[in-house]
Amino acid sequence: MSSTSTKFSTLPAKDKAAILSITGLAVLVRLYKIWEPSSVVFDEVHFGGFASKYIKGRYFMDVHPPLAKLLITLAGYLAGYDGNFDFKDIGKDYIEDGVPYVAMRLLPATLGVLVIPLAFLTLKAYGCTTMTASLGSLLVLFENALTTQSRFILLDSPLVFFTALTAYAWANFQNQPAFQSSWYWYLFLTGLSLGATVSVKWVGLFTIAWVGVTTISGLWHLLGDLSVTPKQYAKHFFWRAVFLIGVPVTFYMLMFGIHFICLVNPGDGDGFMSSEFQATLNNKKMADTPADVAFGSQITIRHWNTQGGYLHSHDHLYPGGSKQQQVTLYPHKDDNNIWLVENITESEVEPRDLAPVYLKDGDIIRLHHVKTSRRLHSHDVRPPVTEADWQNEVSAYGYKGFDGDANDNFRIEILESKSKPGKAQQHVRAIDTKFRVIHTVTGCVLFSHKIKLPSWGYEQQEVTCSKQSTLPNSIWYIEYNEHPLLPEDAEKVNYPKVGFFKKFAELQKVMWDTNAGLIAAHNWDSRPPAWPYLRRGINFWIKDHRQVYLIGNIFTWWFSTASIVIYVLFKITTILRWQRGYSDYSLASVQAFSNKVGTNVVAWALHYFPFYLMKRQLFLHHYLPALYFSILAVAISWDVLCKNVLKYKAISTLATIGLLVTAVYIFVTLSPLAYAEQWTKDQCENARFLKHWDFDCNTFPNDISGYDASSLTNVSSVQASIVGESSSDSSFQSTEEVLPRDEL
Amino acid sequence: MAPKIAVPEKGAKKVKQPTAPSTASTTAVSSAEAPVAKADEIIDDSSNGPIYLVAKPLTIAEARKEERYYNFALFMVTILSFWTRFYMLYHPDQVVFDEVHFGKFASYYLQRTYFFDVHPPFGKLLFALVGWLVGYDGSFLFENIGDGYVQNKVPYLAYRALPALLGSLTVPVVFLTMKDSGYSLAACLVSAGLVLFDNGHITQTRLILLDATLIFSMTCALYSYVKFMRYRNSPFGRKWWKWLLLTGLSLACTISTKYVGVFAFVSIGLAVIIDLWNLLDVDRGLSLKKYAQHFIARAFALIVMPFMIYLLFFQIHFWVLSKSGPGDDFMSPEFQETLGDNEMALLSKPINYYDTIDIKHKDTGAYLHSHPDRYPLRYDDGRISSQGQQVTGYPHKDANNNWVILPTVDFPENDRLGHPVNGGDVVQLYHTVTGTYLLTHDVASPYYPTNQEFTTVSPDDARGPRHNDTLFEIRLNNGKKDQFRTKGGFFKLIHVPTKVAMWTHTKPLPEWGYGQQEINGNKNSQQVSNTWLVDEILDLQDDRLNVEKKKVKHIPFIKKWLELQIAMFRHNNALTSSHPYSSLPPEWPFMLRGVSFWTKNESRAQIYLVGNPLGWWFASCCLAVLSGVFVADQLTRRRRYYVLAENVRNRLYNSAGFFLLAWAAHYFPFYIMGRQLFLHHYLPAHLISALAAGALLDFFYGNPGVFPVAYHAPGATPKTAEKKKGEQVESSVQRPPTMYPPSSLISYLVSGVIIGFVCGVYWFFKPFTYGDPGLSVPQVLMRKWMNFDLHFAK
Repeated sequence: MSSTSTKFSTLPAKDKAAILSITGLAVLVRLYKIWEPSSVVFDEVHFGGFASKYIKGRYFMDVHPPLAKLLITLAGYLAGYDGNFDFKDIGKDYIEDGVPYVAMRLLPATLGVLVIPLAFLTLKAYGCTTMTASLGSLLVLFENALTTQSRFILLDSPLVFFTALTAYAWANFQNQPAFQSSWYWYLFLTGLSLGATVSVKWVGLFTIAWVGVTTISGLWHLLGDLSVTPKQYAKHFFWRAVFLIGVPVTFYMLMFGIHFICLVNPGDGDGFMSSEFQATLNNKKMADTPADVAFGSQITIRHWNTQGGYLHSHDHLYPGGSKQQQVTLYPHKDDNNIWLVENITESEVEPRDLAPVYLKDGDIIRLHHVKTSRRLHSHDVRPPVTEADWQNEVSAYGYKGFDGDANDNFRIEILESKSKPGKAQQHVRAIDTKFRVIHTVTGCVLFSHKIKLPSWGYEQQEVTCSKQSTLPNSIWYIEYNEHPLLPEDAEKVNYPKVGFFKKFAELQKVMWDTNAGLIAAHNWDSRPPAWPYLRRGINFWIKDHRQVYLIGNIFTWWFSTASIVIYVLFKITTILRWQRGYSDYSLASVQAFSNKVGTNVVAWALHYFPFYLMKRQLFLHHYLPALYFSILAVAISWDVLCKNVLKYKAISTLATIGLLVTAVYIFVTLSPLAYAEQWTKDQCENARFLKHWDFDCNTFPNDISGYDASSLTNVSSVQASIVGESSSDSSFQSTEEVLPRDEL
Repeated sequence: MAPKIAVPEKGAKKVKQPTAPSTASTTAVSSAEAPVAKADEIIDDSSNGPIYLVAKPLTIAEARKEERYYNFALFMVTILSFWTRFYMLYHPDQVVFDEVHFGKFASYYLQRTYFFDVHPPFGKLLFALVGWLVGYDGSFLFENIGDGYVQNKVPYLAYRALPALLGSLTVPVVFLTMKDSGYSLAACLVSAGLVLFDNGHITQTRLILLDATLIFSMTCALYSYVKFMRYRNSPFGRKWWKWLLLTGLSLACTISTKYVGVFAFVSIGLAVIIDLWNLLDVDRGLSLKKYAQHFIARAFALIVMPFMIYLLFFQIHFWVLSKSGPGDDFMSPEFQETLGDNEMALLSKPINYYDTIDIKHKDTGAYLHSHPDRYPLRYDDGRISSQGQQVTGYPHKDANNNWVILPTVDFPENDRLGHPVNGGDVVQLYHTVTGTYLLTHDVASPYYPTNQEFTTVSPDDARGPRHNDTLFEIRLNNGKKDQFRTKGGFFKLIHVPTKVAMWTHTKPLPEWGYGQQEINGNKNSQQVSNTWLVDEILDLQDDRLNVEKKKVKHIPFIKKWLELQIAMFRHNNALTSSHPYSSLPPEWPFMLRGVSFWTKNESRAQIYLVGNPLGWWFASCCLAVLSGVFVADQLTRRRRYYVLAENVRNRLYNSAGFFLLAWAAHYFPFYIMGRQLFLHHYLPAHLISALAAGALLDFFYGNPGVFPVAYHAPGATPKTAEKKKGEQVESSVQRPPTMYPPSSLISYLVSGVIIGFVCGVYWFFKPFTYGDPGLSVPQVLMRKWMNFDLHFAK
C-alpha cells in the first residue's frame, strides 16, 4: 500500500464496488427531500443574502472569506436567480418569490456527498481494509449534524469538504516516493485544498496548522536521515514551501480578487471600510473638494483611526453630565456633520467678506455647528460612558447670537509625520492634513474610540476630550470643505487611489476586528467543552409543526470521542512504559496505531482546542471539522483492532455490522429533525437521548393525524405585538449580526 | 535539571549510548571518573561518541580564595542594592499611582473593615503588618493620586520600606542563584547587575505596590529550587527536604501575592516534570516504590503544602476583616451576616403575609411602582398594548410603591398575623393605593417585543378569570426555602404560568409614563439583573419592630473562601477597560514604552516606570542568542555533528535551559490574557532573562563546567548510585574543592564593560526613577527614547 496512491482508478474491483454503492446511498440519504422546508432556514438569512448582494454587486462585509459564498452565488446564478429576494427572516417563504433555492442548496449538499467517498479513499490511504474504510465513510454518511448542515445554504459543508480533501491529499502525499510526479501532484493538491479551506472560513487556518505541524515533524525526520544529502534536503524544503505556502496564499488572494470584481456598487458594508476604500465603489466616489481650508470654511471632520465617521451633533441632549447637546461620531453623510470654522474674535455665523485666511498649525478656532447654531465645547465634566478622570465631556453649547466662551476654543496641531508631505504640512488641507484638536483651557485633545453611546445617543460613537489619549485615536482630518470666497478654479483634492493589495490588507483587518467583536450572547451558542459529548444542538427552523434542529448522531460522537480518549491513555501508558524499558514500540501494530491514529488525533486537537481561546460566540457546527478527523481516527483504530485482536473475520465483520446498525438506528431516530418531517410528540420525546437537548417537542401534534387538521392554520404567524406562548419566534436568531446600525 | 530533551525516535528499541553518561546527576560522578587533565584540554574518549571538556580542579586554597571573591562581590552588590532602593525613599511625599489601592487596602486591614480586591491577601497583609507595627490606625484612605502623606500623618516611609527591603534583597538572591548554579563570578555579576541597575525594578519596588513581594518570592522560589537540585544525589536528606519545602513556601507566597504567581508554579512544575521523567528512566535503577516516594514528596511540598499556606492567608484575611466595609456588596447576604455592624445583620427583618412592603430593584435602585394611568393603546412602532394600568419603576419613596404581600388562599379572618413568607412561596401582590393586583401576561412590553408587559387588574379579575396570571413565586437567590427577609433576601419574582422574571432597565418610558422605568417580564429568568429586594416593611406594628440585637453569624471557612475566590475570578476577568498607559506583551522585551506614575508641575519632576533600556535589550538579545544556540545544537546533532562537549551541553540544557523555560512561562501566557496589561507585568520575566544572560555569557567565557554542581550530603550515599558505580561513590568528597570555576581576566573585562554601560544608562534615567530632579525640555527630550511618552517634553 505504501507507495501507491488511492485514486479511484487504481482501486481493486471490490473497493470500486464499495465506493460506488456507498456514494449512491449517500446521494439518496443526503439529497432526500432537499426542497423541504421551502422557507429560509437559520443562517440562510446571511449566506443567501450574500448571494443576492453578489448578484447585485452591492458591497457587503462578512467575517468569512468569499469562496463558499461565491460558489453558492454561482449555483444560484446558473439556475437563473436574479438577486431580488432579501432572505430577511428565518421562515420567509421561497416558493412565492420563485427563488431557485434548491439549486443553491444543492451546492453544499453535493459537496457533503463527496466527503463520503473522500473519507473512504483517505482511510484506504491509511491502509485500512475495505470493511473498515466502509465503516468510516458510512459513519460520516449517517451523521445527523453533517447531514443537516449540508442540506442548507451554509458554509460548513464546503468547509468540511475542503478539509476532507486536504486530509485525503496529505495522507496520499505521505505514501509517495519523493520527487515522483505523484508526489508533486499530491503536494500541489494539498496546497490547493488548504487554500480553498481557508478561503471558506478562517477555521481553515487550523487545517493549515495541522499540515504545518506534520510537515515540520516530517522534515525533522528527514533531517535525521543521513542518506538524504543537504542538497536533496533543500529540495524537499523548497517544494514544500512552494506548494504549502505559495499555492494557498495565491489561491486565497485570488478569491478576494474575484470578490472585489463582483462587488462594485456601494452597499451596507461600506461603513466598515476606510474612506479611501469606499471611494473606489461606484457612485460613492467623492467629488473633488477644495484643498485649502480657511477661516469661514464649512467642513466635515472625520476621525482617522476608527470607522466611526464624522464629528456630528444633533438636537438631542446628554441625559447626564452637563445635559448639553450631544456630540458624537456618525458614519454617514448628513447635514449635521457640517461645522463652520470661526475665528475666536468673530462670532458671526456668516463667513466674512475677507479673503480666505488659511488655517495654520497653532491657530485657535471655534467650531460652529451649522444646523443647531451651537459651538463645540468642552469642560471639566466626565463623559457619559467613559467615566475616567482623564476624560472630559465634549458637547455643543450656545444659541444663535451667543458670543461663545473660552471653553469653545480649540487649537489646531498639524501632525507633520502623518500628513502628506508638502503644503499639507504647512497649513490645513482637506484629506491630506492630519491634525489634532486641542482644547485650549484644559489642554485635553478631541478624542474618540470604539465605544458606543447607549440608545439615547443612537448607538453612535462617543466623542470625548482626553488628557492622556493614545495618538491614533486623537487624529482627525477634513473630508469635505467649502468656502464661498474660494475661486472656482481653486486646487482640489480627493482620496488617493487604492490598489488590490491595499484593499485586500484592509479587508483582512476589518474582518479580523469584526470577528473578534462578535461576543454578544446568542440563544443557541455553546462553548467547546460541550461539543465532544454533544450537550445541545441548535434550533434552525420551526414552522407548521415541523422543525429543523442541528444535532449529531450521538453514537458516532461518543464513539469517536471515546476513541480519542483511549488513544491518549494508550499513548501515555506506552511512553511511560518505554521510559521503564519496555519495548512496546517494536510491535508493528502498536507503531501503526500510534502513528496513523496519532496524526488524526493531532488534527482533531488542532481543530478543537484553539476554540477555547476564542472569546467570540461559538456554535456546535464549529466542531464539525474536528468531528471528521475523530471519525477517521475511530475507523483506523477499529482497523487496527480488527487486524490484531478480532482476528477471525467473522467476529470482526459481525462487530462492524453491529456498530453500523447502531449508528443507522440513531440516525433514523433523529432524522425528522434534519429533514423537517412530520413527527409526533411521543416520538420526539423518545428521541431526546440527553436531557439537555432542547428541541421543542410541543410543536409536534400528539398524533400524526394532527397534521391534516393543523397544516391549514399557520400557528407561528402570531400578531407581532403579542408574545405567543407556543411560538418561540423571539428565541430565533441567525448568527453573526454584523450590520451597522443607522440613526433612528 | 532538565537533561536529555531529545527523546530517541519512537518505535526504535530503546538503546542507551553506553559511552555517554548523559544525565546531569552523574556529572558529579563523571568528574570523579574522568581522568584529571589540564585546563581546556580536550579528551576524545571515543572515536565517534560525545566529547568531554575537562578543566583542572582547583586546590583547596584556591577554592577558598575564589569563595572569598564571591563573598566580597555579594557584599558589594547587597550594599549597592540597598542604596539604589532606599535612596530618597521619602520622595515624593504624595500618593503615587497604584498606591491608591494598596495603601487603601492596608488602611482597611488596620480598621478591620471588609473590602474586596482581585488580588490574594498575602502582599496586602504584609503592608498591614507594617502599619500595625508602627502603630498606625489606618484613618487615611489614599483616595487620589497626589494626596499628601505628611499632612495626613501617614507612616508612608515605613510602608515603602517594606517593598524597598524586599526589592533590595532580590538582588543578592539573584547573585546567589547564579552562584549556586555554578556560574563564574563574572557571569554572576552581570546577572545581578542587570537587576541591580534596572530602573524598572527600582521604581516598582520602592512604592507601596505588590510587585516587590511578588518578585522577591518568585526569585526565592527559583533559588530554593536550584539549591534543592544541588542535593539531588542525596534524596530525602535533611537539606534536600529543607530546600524542597522552602521552594514550596516561596511558591505559596508568590501565588498568594498575585495570581500571576501561577507562572512560577508552571516554571518549577515543568522542571519537576522533566526531573521526574528522568528519574523514571529504567537506567536510573529506581524501583517504582522509590519512585513513588520521589513523586509524593514533590507533590506534597510543591502542591499540597503551598495550597494549605495559600488558604492560611485567606484565613488570616477573614480573621482580620471582621467588620462591615466597602466590600460587603460583592458578597452574598449569608457572607455579609458574618460581618459585624453590617446593615444586613442589623436591620434585616422577617416578612409575614399581609405585610405592606416596598420592593426595590437591586441594580437600578428603582421601586416597584404603579399609578392609575394606563398604557397607551398604540406605541410609536405600531404595536398595541393591553391598555392596562401602568406598572413602572420609580426611584423615590412614594405611597404608590406600597404593596401588600398576600397568600394565594386567604388565611381565616382572625388568624392573619404571624404567618411567615418563605422562599419558593407563591404569592399575590396587592397595590394599596389603587386597590389592584399585580399581573403579567403575554402582551409585549412597551420597549421589548420579546418581554411581557406588567400591569394590574381589579380584585374581581384577580380572584376570578385572571387569577392564575396574578400568581408570582418568590425565588430566593440562594435557592433556599428560608423565611423571606428585608434587605438581605435578594430574590427574583417569577411569574407562575409563564416563568418570566420581573425585570427593569434604565431607559425611561416616554411622556405617558412620566419618564419612569419600564417594568417587564424577562424570558431569560436566570439573568442576574432580575434581582430585587424588599427595602422595608411599612406600618410595622408587631414585635418585629424591636430590633433584637442579632448575633454575628458564622459560616465555615471553606465556604467563605470559595465564594470569595469565585467573585475574585469573575472580577479579574471583567478588568478589560483600556488605560492610557496599558501595553501589550510584544512591546515589553524591547522596552518600547513606559508608564507615567506621578508628575509635579512646579518642579517639572516626574516618575515614569521604564526599565533600563540597555539592560532589557541586552537580556532580550541573550534570550534570542540562547534560543539560537539550542536550535543550532539540535539541528547539528540531528545530522550527527557533535559540536558541543557533552558536559558543557548538559549544563547549557539543565541550567540555561531551565532559565529559558522559566522566562517563557513568565512571558507567553500574557499573550492569551484578555485583561489590560502593563509594563510591570514583565518584571519577573525580565529578572529571569537576566539569569539567562549570565548563563549565556558564562557559556561564551568557556567555563567547561566540570566542577560538580551537585554534591552528596555526608553519609547519605544513594543506594542506587552505589549499586552502579561501586566504590567510587564512597570516596566522593562531601564538598569538592573544585566548587567554583575560575574567571578569566577577559571575562571580567567583558562583564565590567557590560555592567558599566548598564549602570551609565541607569544613571541617565535616574530622574524618572526617583522623581527628582526635575528636568528642562532638552533634558527630557534627550531621554525620550523609543516611544517613551514623557511629560514636560514641551
